[in-house]
Amino acid sequence: MSKSSRKIAILFILPVIIFYLVMAIYPFVSMVYESFTNLNLTIPHSGQFIGLSNYFAIFQDPLALSSIDFSAMVIYIAVPVEMILGLVFAYLIRGLKGEKIFRTLFLIPMMIPGIVFGIAAQMIFNYLFGAANYFLSFLGIQPVAWLGQAATAQFVIIFLDVLQWTPFVFLIIYAGLLSVPQDLIDAAKVDGANGWQAFLHVEFPTLKPLIYVALIIRIIDALKIFGKIYMTTWGGPGTATSSWSFYIYKVGVSYGWDIGYASALAVILLIVSTILVNILIRFLNLGEQLGISKEA
Amino acid sequence: MRPKTKRRIVNSVRYIFTILILVVFLFPAYWITITAFKPSSEWNAWPPHFWPYHPTLSNFFGGSSVSSIEGILPFLRNSLVVSTAVAVIAAVIALLAAYSIARFKTGGMGLAGWIISMRMLPPVTIVIPLYVIYAKVNLLNTWTGLILIYLVPAIALGVWILITFINQIPKELDEAAKIDGASNLQTFTHIILPLSLSGFAAVMVLTFIQTWSEFLLATILTSNSAAQTLPVYLGRFITGYNIAWGALSAAGLITMLPVIIFGIIFQRYLIRGLTFGAVKY
Amino acid sequence: MGKYRVLLLVISMIAVMTFAALAVTTISVVVSPDNGPSIQYLAQQFMQQNPDIKVDVTIISWETLYPRLLADLTSKTGVYDAFTWDVMTAGAMHSGCLDLTQYFKDHPDVIPSGYDMNDLLPLAYKLGTWNGDLIGLPYYNNTMLFYYRKDLFNNPTYQQQFYQMFGRPLRVPTTWAEAVDVARFFTQAYNPKSPTRYGIALMFPTTHTMFYMFPLFFGPYRTSTDGIREFGPVNFDYGTYFTSDGKPAFANQYGLMALEDMKALMPYAPDPLGSDYGQTIEYFAQGMVAMCPQWTNPYLQFASSPALQPASEKIGIAPMPGVSVAGNWALGVNKYISPEKQAAAVKFILFCTTKESGMAVLKQFAIAPVRESILDSPEAQAAIPWVAALPSIYQTEAFRPRIPQEPQLESITDVYFSKMLSGTIPMTIQSLQSLADQWNKVLAGGQ
Repeated sequence: MSKSSRKIAILFILPVIIFYLVMAIYPFVSMVYESFTNLNLTIPHSGQFIGLSNYFAIFQDPLALSSIDFSAMVIYIAVPVEMILGLVFAYLIRGLKGEKIFRTLFLIPMMIPGIVFGIAAQMIFNYLFGAANYFLSFLGIQPVAWLGQAATAQFVIIFLDVLQWTPFVFLIIYAGLLSVPQDLIDAAKVDGANGWQAFLHVEFPTLKPLIYVALIIRIIDALKIFGKIYMTTWGGPGTATSSWSFYIYKVGVSYGWDIGYASALAVILLIVSTILVNILIRFLNLGEQLGISKEA
Repeated sequence: MRPKTKRRIVNSVRYIFTILILVVFLFPAYWITITAFKPSSEWNAWPPHFWPYHPTLSNFFGGSSVSSIEGILPFLRNSLVVSTAVAVIAAVIALLAAYSIARFKTGGMGLAGWIISMRMLPPVTIVIPLYVIYAKVNLLNTWTGLILIYLVPAIALGVWILITFINQIPKELDEAAKIDGASNLQTFTHIILPLSLSGFAAVMVLTFIQTWSEFLLATILTSNSAAQTLPVYLGRFITGYNIAWGALSAAGLITMLPVIIFGIIFQRYLIRGLTFGAVKY
Repeated sequence: MGKYRVLLLVISMIAVMTFAALAVTTISVVVSPDNGPSIQYLAQQFMQQNPDIKVDVTIISWETLYPRLLADLTSKTGVYDAFTWDVMTAGAMHSGCLDLTQYFKDHPDVIPSGYDMNDLLPLAYKLGTWNGDLIGLPYYNNTMLFYYRKDLFNNPTYQQQFYQMFGRPLRVPTTWAEAVDVARFFTQAYNPKSPTRYGIALMFPTTHTMFYMFPLFFGPYRTSTDGIREFGPVNFDYGTYFTSDGKPAFANQYGLMALEDMKALMPYAPDPLGSDYGQTIEYFAQGMVAMCPQWTNPYLQFASSPALQPASEKIGIAPMPGVSVAGNWALGVNKYISPEKQAAAVKFILFCTTKESGMAVLKQFAIAPVRESILDSPEAQAAIPWVAALPSIYQTEAFRPRIPQEPQLESITDVYFSKMLSGTIPMTIQSLQSLADQWNKVLAGGQ
């Protein structure tokens, strides 16, 4: 690399590095440090070093443990549903007349802030006045206390997540489908492949990396679910809809800034998402995809 | 059955399903929109009113601070300023970094992976130390404070997207320019910049949408109309003794409408960005 | 020379304007939605009288207001100059609140003439203090009332039907046990002739609401003769949840009975575990339920609801069948702001708590008065029907803890109660004991 190239390479990367050193590293270090202290804003002169106590406390905290359940549930129910629905819808509208209008309409939920979904859900799933129970009454079903029972409250949050993020998956897959050269499909059909075989051997290989990207981004983002819970169930009833992120907020902010303990919870979350990110990078062969690793 | 008839039936079924799915997916947005125009007597009517029987603008204008959204303008301004600033700054910084990484392999995969991982950082993990730091440096309740923290995931996403865009620009172009005597900087401004503009736009669109919707950080790092964004304005009603659903929906409408319109207008960039330039739509 | 004179005039005008602009002090006031409209109204009035002070009122939901305030006060950022604070957060807040007793001593002239400190209700005043410091002027003497449908209870047909079903006359319940029968009577699923779909609107969500609903049911046991003998009198800092020497008092048969009383009413309430203020107020306002424990200011919403007209015949107000619970709000001033802002903020909160202001916000916003003279005034009693009932209700109120650990205790408790009421964990003394263990851990940790 020439000297001037190196200069420009370094000059251009510098802003990012400086920015992240200031904005991410410092909070990160202070978070890790605080996770070893008993810092609590409601208690004067707290902040002594207490070693790993906060981490041990997590395993004895039933509320923390049950928050894992719901976070896991979002990942293993909401994310697969989003993936499948996104795929189905991409195929459903492909080639239909009015495709573009359908696509545009379907993108809308993705742009709506989660907190707005929460407000809509409060109205739609209201026990006495909500549209959901109104629709059920046609089927002769008694009103359901959507937000007052564990299973239905979980359903509502997951349902909202599906509404919001299926379009994201759909968009990626749909755009991927557009990029499959039509002559490849035609060639496969000439060779006697039926629709399913064409999908399996021609389209799926093209879509695969995009599906992985969507899947892993969805899994990682599912760990962040917050606004919808904040606006509808507040983690209840009990801890039925309390996600790990929401529990961190509750401990760390909402009820008294127990910063030490919340930091320990946050470190765990960070470790989990770092592992997922690394899987993402490996699995996607991101280095190769970005054209970096081989030549570096 | 004749193939033509068969296709017609299949297509009709597809239309029916498409419309059914769209109805479900758009129902919340529809409900927010109609409730924004309903007078208070219709908010909790039974059976529910599926359109405003007596449309009104009273949820938008007039009334007190909790029964209408007259005070929403500063919050709209804050949202616009912060989201726009993040979109522009993130795109610029990301383009520079992406150029450096894509063309000169600066830092290798380690650096690229580190930057991309910032996109994944759960906001709740940094918000508490951030509050303490912001308090010390007077960044609480400021646009700058919000912009800085929103840039963290925005730049990461931008770098990720733009590396792929720059990789699609043939290297021969750079080399040809160099042979013509262009400096690295000139190559960047004359070749890379114009050719990655759609990627630049994609980053702006995506980060704008992402920033606009953010709630958790905004609710903790801001304290009044000087910097609070629209989602925070909405969140204030959560356990109010008197939930004015009309006003709340009106606020919801104002919160979602700009970003939806923006997203629809710049759809092509949204799609290109989300597929990392793989799809030239 | 005329030119110069004009120029001079212009310059001096600009200077005066700049000076005036700079001289305006802006104070940032943050309030909960319950207090929002009334404080905004008072701010307008205040600014008319004091053009040199600009008051900027921000409304933030309860769930966000408290942690934001706490963070502001403890990290000394001075973002909010004045604020409404829930009195049960006194212990957590006090380190950042200006001690008004001392401030008034140092600045005696700040108190407007005619401002009568002694007129403030002793209880409300006391709730604004911590460790003897006055850290907030009482603003809103909120308490829980029992709203019921007067027209239904007075209706001879229902009275007769009720007598046939239960063998005793229909009347407004005075105990929770009594309330169960009445609630059942007014629930269509159990009595097809009921005029309302449900008997009672209850709010047991997993939010801070749960924490004040429990004392309504636990209070009667805690302050019974037996309860007092076992746990001692209610300590003002620890509240109804605790023994007089600061130990959890609910992990026993009394706590269990309170939860059972709550559970017994749930079949007659629309979605109790998923409803909060907003929903229950709406259920009563729309005529869906016959009874509804609720705070003081929803009265205005009931009185303006088309389903409850004429209000004087349909809305009845009674003391809570168990005991009420205090939900007072005080107005405090930030300790960590400039003396000018402090002076302006103190002036504002004094303005908000005068007799005139109290009367105005009572009439317009149903803010329960903090002054004896207002409670006694026929004008106030004529304006809002519950005014006359308040003094006796205040006497038996239950209290939430005010110790610094209150927020943490509350957060744990909401979840446990919700789990017990929904059957996720068994409703037993053991479950209550494990909750008490969690409490003890929090109490021990916070030294």
